[in-house]
Amino acid sequence: MQRNSNQSVTVEKETPLEVDPGYLTVTDLNPVDEESYNENLEAHLQSLARDGVQALYASLFTLPTRPSPDGPLAQLPPPKTQLPRAKPLPKPKPQTKWEAFAAAKGIQHKVRDRREWDEEKQDWVNRWGRNGKNKQIEEQWITEVPLNADADYDPRKVARDARKERVAKNEKKHAQNVTRAAAAANPRDARKTDIEKTLATTRISTASMGKFDKKLDGEKKIRGVKRKFDPTEKSVSDEAKASVALLSRLESDAKKTRREPQAEESVLNTRKAVRFASKGRGGLALGREAAGGRSSRGGRGRGGKR
Amino acid sequence: MRPLTEDESKAVFTKLANYIGKNLIHLIDRQDEPYCFRLQKDRVYYVSESSMRLGISVARPNLVSLGTCFGKFSKSGKFKLHVTALDYLAQYAKYKVWIKPNGEMPFLYGNHVVKAHLGRITEDTPEHQGVVVFSMKDIPLGFGVTARSTVDTRKLDPTAIIVFHQADVGEYLRDEDTLF
Repeated sequence: MQRNSNQSVTVEKETPLEVDPGYLTVTDLNPVDEESYNENLEAHLQSLARDGVQALYASLFTLPTRPSPDGPLAQLPPPKTQLPRAKPLPKPKPQTKWEAFAAAKGIQHKVRDRREWDEEKQDWVNRWGRNGKNKQIEEQWITEVPLNADADYDPRKVARDARKERVAKNEKKHAQNVTRAAAAANPRDARKTDIEKTLATTRISTASMGKFDKKLDGEKKIRGVKRKFDPTEKSVSDEAKASVALLSRLESDAKKTRREPQAEESVLNTRKAVRFASKGRGGLALGREAAGGRSSRGGRGRGGKR
Repeated sequence: MRPLTEDESKAVFTKLANYIGKNLIHLIDRQDEPYCFRLQKDRVYYVSESSMRLGISVARPNLVSLGTCFGKFSKSGKFKLHVTALDYLAQYAKYKVWIKPNGEMPFLYGNHVVKAHLGRITEDTPEHQGVVVFSMKDIPLGFGVTARSTVDTRKLDPTAIIVFHQADVGEYLRDEDTLF
């Protein structure tokens, strides 16, 4: 039947050819004609190919064109055929302890916004990070102190310590999740290190801490973690630089919890100045005096003994 | 002999900074000759680079001491200053205490400084601050930690402790064999 339509522009088949101009692909879904296949293979294949190309060309000429220096160009539509992906599917991420718990309990995951509303500022502020709301107590200029707090109670330091502790806890949990995931990925290795650890513990858990125990054949010496030190003959100037860096880090750590400038930094010795101005009775008395100077309580001498 | 690790340096520097504050930089970054801290058998030595380099060629068991011993690390990793560091502490001390001649001997026998023996004290010394103790003739005798701030000392009775003893030059005789 193909012979007759050899010169025809239209291709007629029992099942119409599937043309995907996006990939420039034609799929022939018709069953192979066994007779012509066996008679002359070359001619059969050529006729099949001609039909396919003819159908493709016909579809190409129906497409919208765009002029170009080399003549009109057909604009291919997006491909229709679904191709399988080249790479295997990604493996599902190992669940964290919380995720496993939430899945078991049916707790839904809520996405927390990165910013939250600040009533005082009437603005959206970062929950953490730069100017984060979690540092509010540390950064505000005045902080409430509990009634029965110690004299050296520093609310800023308390808040900062609590925040640092939360961060440290989160990091610890993360590390545990990572090791748990690694153990789940390779249970054989995890079991091996576990057994080695247990063995090492039992070997030093005797009365002599393993010193006078019978040695088994092929038993290896227990080796701890080897400490590593800098070489002794390192350049001394490099060492001094590292020490200065360490010093400045120590200082900055101390400064972060204590806002007022160090006494040696400012020219004014605040403590001494307060003592001088208040005639040795301290800043509190000075403040009281300044506040109550015009009130009925008045007078310097009488103000002290109430 | 080896350089200090970061944690060890931190322990040493915080201890020293308690006495000499920011002057610590003068110990690390010296103009005359490069100096460094070295650890040998738990002891921290403050050594010039040249003698440190000479010391490298001495085997560890044979090396008894080098430079100035600043102190030692306890088994639990705390750092304790020795009286041998007094020369440097006295030179750069931020807060000083001078004691009267009748208080010198009690202090040199390892006792705390009581108020009756107090000659002079740097004004504005806070509580629990490292101080260097001098005799009235400005001879460094040792160092300690203040029990009270300067202002608070005024009200105390004469037997009250002003400076807790930490080290004194009497240790050169008393602890001769373990000091260096």
